[in-house]
Amino acid sequence: MSPPPAIALPAESVAAAPTLPDLWPPVKPLRGFTGFLRRHPTVTIGAALLIVMVLIAVLAPYLGTVDPTTLNTSRRTREPSALYWFGTDMLGRDIYSRVVYGARVSLTVGFSVAILASIAGLAIGLVSGMVRWADGFIMRVMDGLMSIPPILLAIALMALTRGSVGNVVMAITIAEIPRVARLVRGVVLSLREQPYVDAAVAAGTRMPMIILRHILPNTLAPMTVQATYICASAMIVEAILSFIGAGVPPTVASWGNIMAEGRALWQVKPFIVFFPAVFLSITVLAVNLLGDGMRDALDPRLAKGL
Amino acid sequence: MDRRTFLKTTAGAGAIVATGGLATPAISQNAAAKTLRFVPQANLANFDPIWTTQYVVRNASVLVWDTLYGFDEDLTPQRQMVESEENSSDGLTWTFRLRPGLKFHDGAPVLAKDVTASLARWCVRDSMGQMIKALQQELTAVDDRTVKWVLKKPFPKMLLALGKNSTPMAFIMPERIAKTDPFKQIDEYIGSGPMKFVRGDWVPGAKAAFEKFADYISRQEKASWLAGGKNMLVDRIEWVIMPDPATASAALQNGEVDWWENPITDLVPLLRKNRNISVDIADPLGNIGAFRMNHLHPPFNDVKVRRAVLMALDQEEYMRALVGDDTALWKTLPGYFTPGTPLYTEEGGEILKGKRDLAAAKRLLAESSYKGEPVTCVVAQDQPITKAQGDVTAELLKRLGMNVDFVATDWGTVGQRRALKSPPGQGGWGMFHTWHAGADCVNPAVYIAIRATGDGAWFGWPNVPAVETEVDAWFAAKNLDEEKAAIKRLNKAALDSVVYAPTGFFLGYQAWRKNVNGIVKGPIPFPWDVSKTA
Amino acid sequence: MLTYVARRTLATIPVMAVVALFVFSLLFIAPGDPAAVIAGDQATPADVERIRQSLGLDRPFLVQFSDWTWRLLHFDLGRSIFTNLPVTTMIAQRVEPTLSLMVVTLLLSIVVAVPIGVLAAWKVGTWIDRAIMGFAILGFSVPVFVVGYLLAFFFALQLEWLPVQGYTPIARGLWPWLENLILPAIALGCVYIALIARITRAAMLDVLQQDYIRTARAKGLAQRPILFVHALKNASVPIVTVIGIGIALLIGGAVVTESVFAIPGLGRLTLDAILRRDYPVIQGVVLLFSFVYVLVNLAIDLLYTLLDPRIRY
Repeated sequence: MSPPPAIALPAESVAAAPTLPDLWPPVKPLRGFTGFLRRHPTVTIGAALLIVMVLIAVLAPYLGTVDPTTLNTSRRTREPSALYWFGTDMLGRDIYSRVVYGARVSLTVGFSVAILASIAGLAIGLVSGMVRWADGFIMRVMDGLMSIPPILLAIALMALTRGSVGNVVMAITIAEIPRVARLVRGVVLSLREQPYVDAAVAAGTRMPMIILRHILPNTLAPMTVQATYICASAMIVEAILSFIGAGVPPTVASWGNIMAEGRALWQVKPFIVFFPAVFLSITVLAVNLLGDGMRDALDPRLAKGL
Repeated sequence: MDRRTFLKTTAGAGAIVATGGLATPAISQNAAAKTLRFVPQANLANFDPIWTTQYVVRNASVLVWDTLYGFDEDLTPQRQMVESEENSSDGLTWTFRLRPGLKFHDGAPVLAKDVTASLARWCVRDSMGQMIKALQQELTAVDDRTVKWVLKKPFPKMLLALGKNSTPMAFIMPERIAKTDPFKQIDEYIGSGPMKFVRGDWVPGAKAAFEKFADYISRQEKASWLAGGKNMLVDRIEWVIMPDPATASAALQNGEVDWWENPITDLVPLLRKNRNISVDIADPLGNIGAFRMNHLHPPFNDVKVRRAVLMALDQEEYMRALVGDDTALWKTLPGYFTPGTPLYTEEGGEILKGKRDLAAAKRLLAESSYKGEPVTCVVAQDQPITKAQGDVTAELLKRLGMNVDFVATDWGTVGQRRALKSPPGQGGWGMFHTWHAGADCVNPAVYIAIRATGDGAWFGWPNVPAVETEVDAWFAAKNLDEEKAAIKRLNKAALDSVVYAPTGFFLGYQAWRKNVNGIVKGPIPFPWDVSKTA
Repeated sequence: MLTYVARRTLATIPVMAVVALFVFSLLFIAPGDPAAVIAGDQATPADVERIRQSLGLDRPFLVQFSDWTWRLLHFDLGRSIFTNLPVTTMIAQRVEPTLSLMVVTLLLSIVVAVPIGVLAAWKVGTWIDRAIMGFAILGFSVPVFVVGYLLAFFFALQLEWLPVQGYTPIARGLWPWLENLILPAIALGCVYIALIARITRAAMLDVLQQDYIRTARAKGLAQRPILFVHALKNASVPIVTVIGIGIALLIGGAVVTESVFAIPGLGRLTLDAILRRDYPVIQGVVLLFSFVYVLVNLAIDLLYTLLDPRIRY
């Protein structure tokens, strides 16, 4: 069993997953990078889409965009045309430019949350798994946090601070940490029972060394997969936060903000919501595909699962 | 019978069967025609019109509570609960006599002691009430139907105070309820108005319901806003709270609600296309958009900076962002008072008129004490009016070459933050956006936002003695000409020192199903004389 | 067995305590002043200060917390700052719509997701499998409000099959009740269906490779009994686990769905309370949601012992 996107199974069940006998004929070994991509088409598709999005984000100023925050209220809510490719919004801002620049926000939030939640979750999970006396306390706190639905927790945290990209990242990260911590702790607990770890302990290897040599490499695979799903979920949560008015500041062009602003007009000016929705969905889809593909690739034991 | 009618009929039958005639009101064709489903501007989160000044609470309260006087459509106070009044020749003693037969919803008669208790509570919270209270000698019930108010100095605007529709209105409640601390909420909603509040059906954030009060005695005069007869032609009014305009619009088109108080302008063309929907202006007195600058701290403690902002400010840009391209709905406002009302003036308004001269504004800013410090601009995102204005202001300050610290937050936080007098860097603020109902900007008595008494003034704490001198002159004025002269000087003084920045005057729409009749334009969605056919 | 049930039940107490402390302190340090909101736009600073004192919002943290905990233990969640109604009353008024939405979504999701998950596992590697899994991934990738608006646009405004918004109590009849819930349940169910379908497929694949299934196949048992009787029963543990954990998704999604479809439920109550900083309501609702989540998962843990005879404690 491996963690599905957005939420994770208890880590114990990950660790306890039985090794599956392979029902399928062995895959013909393909060599090199192209071989890897051909064996994992989902990785290829996901990565390709994601690279396109990253390029759009990075090259935003060179893609025929104007300043996404410049408003001109005498040309508001224009339909898509040769001049305004995706139309204009209620303040006369160019939606195409806003959507293109919006890629920066979504990707920044997605990647930052994935990285920060992984690092923090890893640290907490390691401490919890290795230090017996702290385990009970840490896990109760994590259980408590986990029992608050993540979106609810993120909204509540955003109510604490002012809207900024950094605060959105922090809020979503805090909501995601417990899941990573549990996953890591589960892996650590199962590894501690492994003979080679026992042997290392018996041989007097110091704890940091054990962690570095034996524990970390083994947690890396499930964590990377989990991080991908966190990235996808973070982008959706960011959009939801902005949609309900608790996200990044409205002066920032983010997909969630564009949709929030166009929300009241979806019946008359559906294009305002349509374009950011499509971009968001494609990006999240790309990351999810990548996650699925990576899980298959990094963890052959789970290759045929899910 | 189309599908929807069929479903509704079966639904009604289902209800009768399911509840066996219990409390749930059965919905039959007939009952549906007697129930008016109304989408108000905001949620009815609490229900004490003295304790809060929210417009939405006032609008629900005019159904449940009655007032001694009521504004008619000429903004003149007319007798409502009062049968007759008398002002002694020295102007110090007011005697009010109640109409006979007035009853509260619990069956008790309306007595003079209820009136004195209600007025006492209102006086604590209302700005005009506070002025009266300061002059008060005694407020007593002479007999069951007679109230006497003795003052130390004449207060000629007495009937205006008792009949005004700006919040808080002087509603009359039973004595036991009116004895509640004015700073605590009442928890019994008994009035003597034309509708009873159905407490069991109140789900804050979702709905509220009112039922016709059988014992209400209407005045004989024709209804005119809060004056005249309040004849209820429907048995029940249901308020359906819909925070999302898209949902409200869809519900109105589908016939799931009957009357929508404030459709956003961009949706109006869609509603107009629907054969079953009427659209019209909601309130001829409209609204005044505004942002306030903090007069206590840099940079806005320097009048030159405030004037520079006003010089660069393009009201047309604000109005288009707020209301849209329909120029029938808004106009620029080179002054502070509501256009179309007697005291309206453009005296001193040149700074807001004509083509915007950004270069001149920049020159003025350069002469001022502004040194590039960040301007903390606090903007509530959950109110469309403040949000749109905030976006335009951010752009305006940027153009002017000011350094903007844009704080996007919600109305609740703005409410807290704007009350802080500390410098912007220490939790305080530089500017925030709001709006005022036109009805609250017709004269200085109801216009808290124009006052410039410094520490005691509204948020921003403008301290402009010249403005206050003219306020006193207006209160002392003996006729309309004197009033007008005082207001002209007031308007100029307020613009010269920029008490606050007006961003324009705008009207809002209301929309209703064509089977609803009798809806009038006004500052409150008046439900009397409104009928509905099946 | 009994000791396990007792131990597992007792273990939820510290979790709830953590939640309570967290929720309380979170909102205590929050900026935004309910007193100012209550006072309204025309109030003076002095009014605001008076209101703050009358609500007890000026007392120190520990005093407010211990006061709050004590009353909590007596099932008193306090009164809403805005409506002056007891929080328990407000929650009670809102439970039915949210519970209805959740139950309908849950049933819909299970009825749709489990069969397609089984189908995907059965037809593993074929285009059917790929299509189902493709849709599942898509289900994760489209935000719930986008799905909601699309559904409302086509099925309510264009086709006029279903109402756009609102909620009808079940006391008014089954169809009027269901009519209002179909579109929101589909919108809210998307992620859930995707999740359950994926986990079902994975769990089924896992089981289908076990020896006893191979034996059953070899014995020539028909496919359907194998799939639905033998395999599904043994694959049920992870599926039920995910259904339990997914309750969190459902609660989070309900906040958005209820706002899109104007359903007067707990989700909208939560959102309104958070945006308005109605402290007692936020505390009550978040606590309630966490409590439900913990209880559901407790029930599921206990259910394992019934589902899987191998699990013994």
